[in-house]
Amino acid sequence: MSQNRLGVVVDGAFNAGLTVRLDSRITTEQLRIGNFVVVEGQQNRYFSLISDIHLKATDPRLLADPPRDPSPFIAQALAGTSTYATVEVRPMLMLEKADESDVDALFEERGGPEPVRTIPMHFAELREATELDFSTVFGQEGGANFAMGTPLAMDIPICLRLDRFVERSNGVFGQSGTGKSFLARLLISGVIKTKIAVNLIFDMHDEYSFDKQTEDGHWVKGLRQIFGSQVLIYALDEAMGRRRGRNVDVTLKIGLNQIEEADIVLLSQELNLRQTAEATIGLLRDAFRQQWLLKLLQMTPEELGEFCKGSGAHPASMASLQRNLKRLQRQDYVVDEATFSALDDMVEALDRGKHVILQFGRYNSVLDYVLVSNLVTRRVRQRYEEKTRRYEETKEVADKPRPLMITIEEAHKFLNPAVARQTTFGTIAREMRKYNVTLLVIDQRPSGIDPEVMSQLGTRVSGKLTEERDIEAVLTGVSNRSALRGALTSLNTRQQILIMGHAVPMPIVMRTRQYDERFYQAMGARVETSQDAQTDILDLFGDP
Amino acid sequence: MPLKIERISQQLDRMARMIADSAPAREGFLGQAQDCLRSVNADALRQKLEWQRTQQIRIPWLVAVPRGDLSRSVPAPSPPADFCVVGSDASSIPLDRHSSVRYYVLNVGYAILCYGQKPDAVLEASSRLCFQDQDLYVFPQKWDVPIEGTLLGARMEVESLRISQQAMQQISRPTIALRDGPLILWTLQNESKEVKQALLRDLFEAMDALRQMGVPLAGYISYTGSRDVANSLRVWLCQGRPDECERCESSDYDLCQALATIHDRDLFIFLAQGERSELFGSSSQILEQYGRHRVDFFYMNVGEEIVRVEVPQWVGADADLLGLLHAAIYDQCRRSPAVPPYPPALQEAHEQAVITTTERRLVEGMVEQALGRHGQRVFRSAKDHSKRRRGV
Amino acid sequence: MSIGEIIETTSTAFVAESFELNSPPPLGSLVVVQVSSETGTSTGLDLYAVVIYGQTVGLDPSRRAVRRSTDKVFDAAIYDQHPQLEHTLRTEFGAALVGFVADSVVRQHLPSQPPPLHYSVHTASVEQVRRFTNSLHYLRLLLVPHGEVPPPQVLAANVREVYQQRGVDRLWLDAAAREIATLLQSDHQALLTVLYSIDPGKVSPSTVRGGQI
Ligand SMILES: Nc1ncnc2c1ncn2[C@@H]1O[C@H](COP(=O)(O)OP(=O)(O)OP(=O)(O)O)[C@@H](O)[C@H]1O
Ligand SMILES: [Mg+2]
Repeated sequence: MSQNRLGVVVDGAFNAGLTVRLDSRITTEQLRIGNFVVVEGQQNRYFSLISDIHLKATDPRLLADPPRDPSPFIAQALAGTSTYATVEVRPMLMLEKADESDVDALFEERGGPEPVRTIPMHFAELREATELDFSTVFGQEGGANFAMGTPLAMDIPICLRLDRFVERSNGVFGQSGTGKSFLARLLISGVIKTKIAVNLIFDMHDEYSFDKQTEDGHWVKGLRQIFGSQVLIYALDEAMGRRRGRNVDVTLKIGLNQIEEADIVLLSQELNLRQTAEATIGLLRDAFRQQWLLKLLQMTPEELGEFCKGSGAHPASMASLQRNLKRLQRQDYVVDEATFSALDDMVEALDRGKHVILQFGRYNSVLDYVLVSNLVTRRVRQRYEEKTRRYEETKEVADKPRPLMITIEEAHKFLNPAVARQTTFGTIAREMRKYNVTLLVIDQRPSGIDPEVMSQLGTRVSGKLTEERDIEAVLTGVSNRSALRGALTSLNTRQQILIMGHAVPMPIVMRTRQYDERFYQAMGARVETSQDAQTDILDLFGDP
Repeated sequence: MPLKIERISQQLDRMARMIADSAPAREGFLGQAQDCLRSVNADALRQKLEWQRTQQIRIPWLVAVPRGDLSRSVPAPSPPADFCVVGSDASSIPLDRHSSVRYYVLNVGYAILCYGQKPDAVLEASSRLCFQDQDLYVFPQKWDVPIEGTLLGARMEVESLRISQQAMQQISRPTIALRDGPLILWTLQNESKEVKQALLRDLFEAMDALRQMGVPLAGYISYTGSRDVANSLRVWLCQGRPDECERCESSDYDLCQALATIHDRDLFIFLAQGERSELFGSSSQILEQYGRHRVDFFYMNVGEEIVRVEVPQWVGADADLLGLLHAAIYDQCRRSPAVPPYPPALQEAHEQAVITTTERRLVEGMVEQALGRHGQRVFRSAKDHSKRRRGV
Repeated sequence: MSIGEIIETTSTAFVAESFELNSPPPLGSLVVVQVSSETGTSTGLDLYAVVIYGQTVGLDPSRRAVRRSTDKVFDAAIYDQHPQLEHTLRTEFGAALVGFVADSVVRQHLPSQPPPLHYSVHTASVEQVRRFTNSLHYLRLLLVPHGEVPPPQVLAANVREVYQQRGVDRLWLDAAAREIATLLQSDHQALLTVLYSIDPGKVSPSTVRGGQI
């Protein structure tokens, strides 16, 4: 009997999972839904998840008439004998057992766990997973294996395959405060560190670049502070750049000429647009091409009336559209005319292996965020598309575009069912990594995201969710939903996550890796101050 | 079922009615008899009895010779702090006349109960298979007078006394010896003098031993049917000759006739609990053989019952021995859980002595087996066979 | 210590007459019958049995005991005042066989032969109790009703006895309680009856002595 034995298999079905009777010395409170456990079959070892816990009694009368104030002695005697617990266990992976004497040789030969194709017989032993089990399934830290966290009750790393992670678009979900942004930072750090992809981060709340105060009140470093000049900071807000120690490398301006019909449609809610707006914009575009917005905003009432006459546009609609879109002009970062050179430079920087964080500063309204993110992403994707095409022609390794991961918070703004078909983000999510661009979508209401997009997400990481709709959404297209649903609701509100999908061999619940000094060091950050980082930047770019 | 229960029950009813009807008359006579007992002059009665004896007038009844005042009652003294009571009893598997082998089994049970500082008890039985000539015949040399029936009964009495006497030799405390039944072995009365002497020899030997040990001996007779004292009253009342009642013209005739149906135990109901009566001599013929061990008797209220106690005269003559005996008997009866009481020493002796039917069968079987081992067969009479197998 | 003699014997239980009046071995206690030798064993057998009842009756089945107490004489004094009682009463006890030790191996199942009639019954020494009760399989043999005492009561009495004899061995008691809970799992009334009656109550940890199960 192994030391960490929990019980034995007493029932089961391949489709329904296994029922395990817990040993009497094990209390249900020692176990958690979603725990990673191992069933020792005769020929295979089954890596499994606990999907449910039941309380049972051998004599139903005991339940109808429980002993009145049982002493601890009696309770202890009854526990596990007359009253007992069973757990439902879902085998996820199996590994053919090796001749114990020759572990290493067989290990290599067999090449790790495979999806389950059978179930073990009665009385197979269920035990807690050991360190070896974790590393068998999730691999050792190093290379593309990035330690994401630890098992709830153990202090050993659970790894995520970052190479597989960036192959698809991914999602990070969870209620507010469950650690989504920290998680994204961990993931992005991993990607930066391993150079598996470059990042473009739309940092709506200015939390990725520099020091940030946590909810616990202490300060944690931003990516710039960890990775120094590998990370470039773009900002919309000129004022940002003037703050000490918070260097901005580029201040971005958006030209009215760059704003497209699709951008406006995406913002129809924020801009209070009428239903006719789309048709009206169509007419304007036909007449003025890229200049349509600028022209519209410059029109006098007379000119407007004239345009309506000439094009057949509805004058009232035109007037209201002009009035609403004037809001755009009032944003400081919007200029009448801008070239794409700044964005193209950014793409070039990404291509050189730099990572870009776009800070919104004061302009952190949904309007700004959606407008700018969508516009920038469109351009970036276009450029990637071109690059990819060229690479396909030349097949030169030098031409191969670096995989790009674009991080967006409040992802439902771009990916809700109403707009997902039209936004660049929707396109990226759907076309997967065709052009080497993938998304890391962060959202606290996954139910707001188009199910089609959800089902395309390769890896999903989720903190605690309580809304049934959100849970359903996160589990879209996942097998063994019932087991995982239990795991999702039973997570702690902070720093506990369920990871499932492409980048992990099997779904797993874990405690998220601590984002702290040790982590910075592991990421290669020198023990340095932000002052040093600044000098670094100066060295590279000269005084901005 | 040949017994006609319904007939019997009808007769039963008549009987009960008759007894009830005669009850008042009986009560009346009993009262008169007791008055008589109180008024008798003991000396005069003794003289009258003595005179009749010397005149060889045949008195057709056993009579009691009062040693003192007839209506005297003696309360029981208290027993010593430490004392023992030895009870004995016997039973037998009698000779089987239907069997070809001649043997009988004697089983003497005795109980030694010691009271006081160190209470103790010995409950034992001594069993003996008797098959030799000296066991089977009173006169073995002549193979004469087989020991059967009454003779076997007398033999049992004697044996029980002998064996219990031997068993009580280590006792140092004051002790009394109790026998279940009479000491006056009147059943031997009709045997020849030689037979009587032969049988009584062992009895007297045992009694001598007891006397030497200073152990008073008594025969305890529960529910006695004796009328010795009542008969003496009849002699007292009699104006003529006691064997010529048909000629009687006395005014006491009715009372005299009633006395013939009155038991001594009814006469002595005036005794308070624990009290004994005066000693009486018995006119039993067999006592002529007893010599120094001549037996007297008294009645005693042991609680709920008047019993008859027979004692050798050497006990009756010794106030200490008699007192010890009287006290111990009363003490025994008080210890008895039974109603009316019965001395535990006798009770336990009886329990030791009894031979159960199973045991009887067992012995029979053992005898057959033992003989079989020596090539001997046991023959049974046809009658015996029919008794054993009652086929229908 | 020899305490009685077997007067009735079967494959599952025996009745012994106690050498001492009115004090049969405690209900539930272990007793041992030493059988000199059985084929296949070199040292003979020690048969183990658990006392399942005790009774004092008249020696002669046809003689019932009667009331003997008076105002002044009662209880123990009755035996002083009626010394014959020691000889006319007898105390007997029944014991259910629960296993044996042969060649110093403890077996917890019925022996192949009933203990011989008239053999002596001994109390089990503390060491014997400890050795025999290290395994708890014998408890299931006590589930079979033998006499008037219902099996749960015998079971409970045995556990209490052994618990004490093992020097208040709490680990053993806990294991026994779990074993009983398993044995009586389909009859929770009986189970609770036993558990309530073996519950040692609050025991401070210092008085709990260890023991290997
Ligand atoms: N891996 C981690 N290391 C250190 N602290 C963490 C980690 N994850 C979460 N936290 C703590 O939890 C707090 C909330 O985390 P975070 O800001 O990432 O939540 P969120 O899900 O992004 O919330 P919101 O939806 O409001 O943006 C942090 O301020 C920090 O204190
Ligand atoms: Mg956040």
